[in-house]
Amino acid sequence: MIGILKGMATTMKHALDGSTFTVEYPDQAPEVSPRFRGVHKFSQERCIWCRQCENVCPNDTIQIVTDDQRNGEQYNLHIGQCIYCRLCEEVCPVDAILLTQNFEFTADTKDEFAYNKEQLKNVPWYKDIDPLASREPDRGAWIGEGEGEVDYN
Amino acid sequence: MNWGLLQEGNNSSNASAGAANGSANASAAGGGEVQTLPDTLGSLLGLGQMGPLETFAMAVIASGAVATFLLTLVAVSGIWGKRKITAAFTDRIAVNRIGPFGLLIIVADAVRLLSKELVIPDGVDRPAFDIAPVIMVSSALLGFAVIPMGNGIQIADPETGLAYVFAVSSIASLGLVTAGYASNNKFSFLGGLRAVAQNIAYEIPLVVTAASVVIFAGSLQMSTIVEQQAQTLVTLGGLDIPSWYAFVNPFAFVLFMAANLAEVGRNPFDVPEAPTEIVAGWQTEYSSVYFVLCYLSEFIHIFLGGAIIATIFLGGPAGPVLPGFLWFVIKILAVYLFTQWARSAVPRVRIDQLIEIGWKGMLVLSFANLLLTAIIVGVIA
Amino acid sequence: MSLERPEPSTHDQVGVTERGLDYEAIDDLLGDLVIGRESHLNAEGFVVRPERVAEALDRLKQQAGFDHLSCVTAQEYDDRFESIYHLKKYADPTQEVSVVVPTSHDDPHSQSGNAVFRTADWHEREAYDLMGITYDDHPDLRRILLPETWQGHPMRKDYDKEQPQVVTFREHANPLQEDHRAGGGEGDTMFVNIGPHHPATHGVLHLKTVLDGETVADVEPDIGYLHRCEEQMCQQGTYRHQIMPYPDRWDYISAGILNEWAYARTAEDLADIEVPEYAQIIRTMSAEMCRIASHMLAVGTFALDVYGDFTAIFMYSTRDREIVQNLLEDLTGQRLMFNYLRLGGVAWDLPEPREEYFEKVRDFLDDLPAKLEEYHDLITGNEIFQLRCVNTGVLDPEMAKSYGTTGPVARGSGIDYDLRRDDPYGYYPELDWDVITEDGCDNYSRVLVRMKEVEESAKIIEQCVDLLEDWPEEEREIQANVPRTLKPDNDTEVYRAVEGAKGELGIYIRADGTDKPARFKIRSPCYSNLQALPEMSNGEYIPDMIASLGSLDIVLGEVDR
Repeated sequence: MIGILKGMATTMKHALDGSTFTVEYPDQAPEVSPRFRGVHKFSQERCIWCRQCENVCPNDTIQIVTDDQRNGEQYNLHIGQCIYCRLCEEVCPVDAILLTQNFEFTADTKDEFAYNKEQLKNVPWYKDIDPLASREPDRGAWIGEGEGEVDYN
Repeated sequence: MNWGLLQEGNNSSNASAGAANGSANASAAGGGEVQTLPDTLGSLLGLGQMGPLETFAMAVIASGAVATFLLTLVAVSGIWGKRKITAAFTDRIAVNRIGPFGLLIIVADAVRLLSKELVIPDGVDRPAFDIAPVIMVSSALLGFAVIPMGNGIQIADPETGLAYVFAVSSIASLGLVTAGYASNNKFSFLGGLRAVAQNIAYEIPLVVTAASVVIFAGSLQMSTIVEQQAQTLVTLGGLDIPSWYAFVNPFAFVLFMAANLAEVGRNPFDVPEAPTEIVAGWQTEYSSVYFVLCYLSEFIHIFLGGAIIATIFLGGPAGPVLPGFLWFVIKILAVYLFTQWARSAVPRVRIDQLIEIGWKGMLVLSFANLLLTAIIVGVIA
Repeated sequence: MSLERPEPSTHDQVGVTERGLDYEAIDDLLGDLVIGRESHLNAEGFVVRPERVAEALDRLKQQAGFDHLSCVTAQEYDDRFESIYHLKKYADPTQEVSVVVPTSHDDPHSQSGNAVFRTADWHEREAYDLMGITYDDHPDLRRILLPETWQGHPMRKDYDKEQPQVVTFREHANPLQEDHRAGGGEGDTMFVNIGPHHPATHGVLHLKTVLDGETVADVEPDIGYLHRCEEQMCQQGTYRHQIMPYPDRWDYISAGILNEWAYARTAEDLADIEVPEYAQIIRTMSAEMCRIASHMLAVGTFALDVYGDFTAIFMYSTRDREIVQNLLEDLTGQRLMFNYLRLGGVAWDLPEPREEYFEKVRDFLDDLPAKLEEYHDLITGNEIFQLRCVNTGVLDPEMAKSYGTTGPVARGSGIDYDLRRDDPYGYYPELDWDVITEDGCDNYSRVLVRMKEVEESAKIIEQCVDLLEDWPEEEREIQANVPRTLKPDNDTEVYRAVEGAKGELGIYIRADGTDKPARFKIRSPCYSNLQALPEMSNGEYIPDMIASLGSLDIVLGEVDR
């Protein structure tokens, strides 16, 4: 009986202290870590069309179309299919693709989630967090040249 | 006739007014001490001596008023209050978007529930499937007919009031088993069986414990039981403690509260529904309007339980300063709050443990309580 | 130190020497059963004739003390099919041996190991399902992950992906319909489908349950609803990068880093990569955070099962788990799908400013004891809870071993088995913590083990934070120098396991000389643990069965993969 009363006292204590831990979401934007991985932002100015992101992507989310001169024509990214692993950002030698903190995206149909390079460019920053700044100290750490061959296929 | 008394008076002043009126219903109500709501309405409308037709009409109006009030109470506490209370226990915010304090969620939810498709599964046993929710709701509502709610709000006051309440509220078991059986669903079936087993096991201790109060009060009539509790038990530092039976016999009170939890199927005795075990028990297949009725019946049963507890243990509508009716509502809500509180922290017992507690524990204790009460009352009186 | 094993009990077993396992002695033990030897990175493999598997396993179990059939891997070569039985000892999991059973390619038949290890049942069914090897003497060789009507065996090389799969609906028959075991003609049983949509199945699990009144006469878990071909997806990813995001999605209840570590450990052994010490500490710390988060949810959902849907405990545990998740988000950038570990290290150093992060972690650790006290008040101290959970869902140690249960389930049955200590990896051997065991063998013990493990994990995190704080700045090496493309040698095989949130999470990889694995097999702890459910529940009441299921703490994403 003591145990039951202790349990009831515990919940009543919580009820009376009036504190809450949930967030009123749309009114109150939640805090996200500067490292948070949200929707991609793409910069055509930076991109050198090396296709490393396309190769490293684990589930073929990124599609790059180039002409026969290897000039970039299209950069498509299906954010509904993306698993937000950040490998494309890691692999990019020029920081042309970045994952913003923005996690809010909706669409009526799945194909609206296939973003082209213009849409990717216009993805807004979340709360003005610049992911590059938060990631700067770690840049370059991921890639070791090692002894093995470099394999771009 | 002093109608002003009706608004602010207590039961005794109503009683005198009732006597003055010489109510037509008085003989039926037993002794004619209490003026019931239909009588009051009749005299308000200046009907004077009421014939059976007028009495019936007034009773319908009175019942309508009481039922409407109860349904409103369910709407507020069942749709809005429940969320707020649960949220308070779990450190959340809960509904706050629609209307002030989120109160308009009641409207939104009612519309949502009623506009849902009414799914009638294959092979259900109609009309039993349709009748069951109605039985459950009406059984709970009928019980309120004899509850004195203060300020003269009592639809009828028969001599056998307490027996009547228990009789009608246990009709709900019939509704439960009908729902469980008619749904053509194994989970419903299990839930229905569990509900019946539970209700039988706990009805007896409930009634026997209430009988101990009857021994104290010497009457089954609700108004008499309430009146008896108005006497002063002790005076502590100038404060009169009334002889509420909860103070006179706290053991019976605790026993009754526990048995009542089982009767209304709330933690730790919510095995008939037991969402994690048998989905939703007997109400698994009910949707839309029928679900609303099931939901209503659950809450009205909790309130009926609260009303019985308030009447036979907590002095009915008695209380300082505030009008009696408000006190009555406060007491009901306190019991309701208790059920929600228990839900937040008490585990559900297993069905075999439940039956064991009922037959081997509660029943024995309630009879012991009855015997002791009888001896004490017999010795003192 | 607390990490030393209480009793070295393997001494009198065949092949055990001071210097480790003597495989020649085991070879002698198996004698004429052995037709060849293979060398895997983790252990020697003995090639056994397909019709004498049970005999070989039995000798290894009875005389050499290999009482833990960790995993059964089936795979296809150009000329043959092969089943590998990965055996270990509960007393010392570093002593491993593999039994390799080749069968012909045209008509793959091999003897079942079910008679020796109960856990072989499901593992062989999976092998049959995906690879199409038929196991003779198997009591119930049916498909397990795919629907019964599935055409073909999808992990075979010649499997036709384009083949239409017409799945017909068939009503489930009541297997005990004619069984009146309750005595007389009165004991009619009732078949109930609990799940796949049911409030208490923790995901899409289907329990085919036969009830005798309120008692469970027979329960059979039907899994596969969440099968996402994780093994095949990993086989199509490159070692270096593309596999790592997927382990997060096996046990997706915030145990991501523990899962990633399973892959990291296996692949690092395969490619011979040394992980810097600093990265090991970060790994250890973040993995233990994941364990806390996972156990919090386990305790909370278990409370839901026993208390009902309005219990406050679930929200309290969610609230506390949320704090851990915030810490992990700061560290890894995600709340569940971390993708934080890399081969040879971790993706990121601690977030700047470091002091602030340490502060946050310490705040969490400081608040934890009070919160755990609250849980104990609400859960373990509650008399009704004890009434419900003590002596229900009993899984005795022998059965637990035979079913290959690991993690809190095994430790709740008094089996002192924790890979963090017994098969050391990461930074665990350097830290001071205890392995929790309870010998109640019931639902109560399993919950208690999880709650106490949270305290131990907190201890580990605290020590890691101290170490990280004092780590000299110039030596903060978070990744080893790993080639961009890894191509382990052809035919290298390795099976490695780590202590995941639910138990031993093992991974078997066979390399074929390319940058992608030829076979990637996941040994999921939940898969083995769930198999023990009938053992725990038959003859008990429905609520106890639900509670047992909750106490197993399965994640269907990991069961079905």
